[in-house]
Amino acid sequence: MVLDVWSLVAIFEILVFLVAFPLLLFGWLMGEKGRDPIRDAPFESGQTRLGEARQRYMMQYYPYLIMFIAFDVVAMFLFTWGLAFLTVSLTQNYLFLIFIVVLIAPLAYALYLSGKREFW
Amino acid sequence: MVDIAFLAISGLIIVSAIFALEVKELIYGAVGLAFSLIGVAGLFILLGADYVAMFQISVYVGAVVVLILFTIMLVRRESGKIVEQEEPSRLGRGGALVAGLVALAMAGAVIMLMPGSVEAPALYQVTLRELGRSLASSYAVPLVILGLLIGATVVGGLTLVKVEREEKSDGATQ
Amino acid sequence: MTSLILPAPQEIVNLAVRIITSRTFFEVVFFPGFLNVMLSAAFLTWLERKVLARVQLRIGPLYAGPSGILQPIADGVKLMFKQMIFPELADMKLLMLCALGLMLLAFAPAVAIPFGEGLVIANMDVGLVYVFAVMSLFPSVILLIGWGSNSKYPFLGGLRSLFQQVAYEVPMWLSVLGIVMMTGTLNLTKIVEAQQRLWFVIPQILGFAVFFTAALAELERTPFDLPEAESELVMGWMTELTGPAFMLGFLAMYAKLYIMSALITTLFLGGWSGFGFVPQPVWFVLKTFIVASVIIIIRGAFPRVRVDILLRAGWTRLLLLALANIFVTVALIISGLGWVWRI
Repeated sequence: MVLDVWSLVAIFEILVFLVAFPLLLFGWLMGEKGRDPIRDAPFESGQTRLGEARQRYMMQYYPYLIMFIAFDVVAMFLFTWGLAFLTVSLTQNYLFLIFIVVLIAPLAYALYLSGKREFW
Repeated sequence: MVDIAFLAISGLIIVSAIFALEVKELIYGAVGLAFSLIGVAGLFILLGADYVAMFQISVYVGAVVVLILFTIMLVRRESGKIVEQEEPSRLGRGGALVAGLVALAMAGAVIMLMPGSVEAPALYQVTLRELGRSLASSYAVPLVILGLLIGATVVGGLTLVKVEREEKSDGATQ
Repeated sequence: MTSLILPAPQEIVNLAVRIITSRTFFEVVFFPGFLNVMLSAAFLTWLERKVLARVQLRIGPLYAGPSGILQPIADGVKLMFKQMIFPELADMKLLMLCALGLMLLAFAPAVAIPFGEGLVIANMDVGLVYVFAVMSLFPSVILLIGWGSNSKYPFLGGLRSLFQQVAYEVPMWLSVLGIVMMTGTLNLTKIVEAQQRLWFVIPQILGFAVFFTAALAELERTPFDLPEAESELVMGWMTELTGPAFMLGFLAMYAKLYIMSALITTLFLGGWSGFGFVPQPVWFVLKTFIVASVIIIIRGAFPRVRVDILLRAGWTRLLLLALANIFVTVALIISGLGWVWRI
């Protein structure tokens, strides 16, 4: 059997699953069952539940998520640059630095937006 | 020789996609999308593009799906069933029929035109170092333009999303 | 291409014997694979309680075995027999699936981390970005657990965890870029080999500081443990995970701690390099546990950071420090010191 790198990852993950799933199953079977309205209520430190749980809590940090996607893509390019850094001349490296600098302005805008709560 | 890995990954992609489309709860749909994208990363691995596969997982499943989940969770007020099933209209049914016929025609064309034995052409494997070097040298200007494009997309998206609340009379915000 | 060739039925016994006695099987199952991570994660729960106890001038677990060393086993057995509470509004199928997902994600990076020369399960050429890709999947799973619990505390905890991890992932990647530039590879084994003369913690001191801080945020440890702020959010996003599901989540958190400490050791502290006749894996595990102990001591020593300050600091100061590290690295490479870390 040919076992290359990714097959080993798959085998390892299957192994973890094969151990974790029976643990979960065994624990579920072994524990008490039966529903109790007081015990099954959402945990609010002893109070009865007040209000809906899923609301618009942290919308003001939405710009951070969008910036994360942008920087995720940028990181992909930056890592290829990092690998080739030693083999490229200096001026060409400067262009990559410009690539990074170009993204500072949107980052600043995102930070500005997430700081002003009245927009959300 | 049947390639089991390819079949398994393709099965994962298709099944998750169908699941994502058919399930009523939007969040489950996003989870199905995540599995489908992980399957696409698996396809990249089968093609030998490990690096792209890793960033496929990191960007798509790690960021885009998160954004989708966050948007679903915080923008929708109701939980549970949100998507209502409506009876497909006549136009919709006609469109589905046409799409099915086109798919059949394409499959038929591929099968008829396929030579006896299929060999994949030799892949020119680009090492990451070469990729980085070409990005820095030949494609440097497109790269900077890409950076500007990403920045513009971010700024545009944020401008669309933010809601201008009207200031109260004494300037107090909501 | 990956092809699995199914053997003829009568050879299965031979195949099984060959598999079990093969080196790969030993690596995957025992060391540095599954049992290593599992037992180290359990050991870290004990270590945390002991070290934290000493920091706080108390003793910690004492009765289960000598110096309480069997405490994790006692905890595990207890949790297995506890009832898994199904809250009326929560989506337990989703929660259990995500608890399993946490375990899978927490153990996944272990295959790429080298514990010794040639002692790595999967020597990937993209090992570093593989670890980062797996780490980037955590926020979505935690978000799903928080949402699926359908209760205010877990949901807030899940949201905070999402933003915190997302904010600190970018500085984490950028801080490692310096190492990638110096060694020109993403292969973790080659990165360790490049540190034979000098550990990267010295030339990359800034990158080390940024990475360590970002790792603390990724692990949701104090001073960044808002998602699990015990005085505010009960158990944060894990509030509605009970019994065996909680055990999986808890174990996953400590496995993640072990993996991150191992990653810090690999990237900055020379991995398995050491002196004398001590075998290499021992050096690696020793350094990893020292890093983990430092992380635990930090938990006992620092107060918690407020969420908006935390996010802003991650996106501004830490990001700028990571970029500064890139410039420092460029200066280092230009100055011609490349022979120090050339393999």
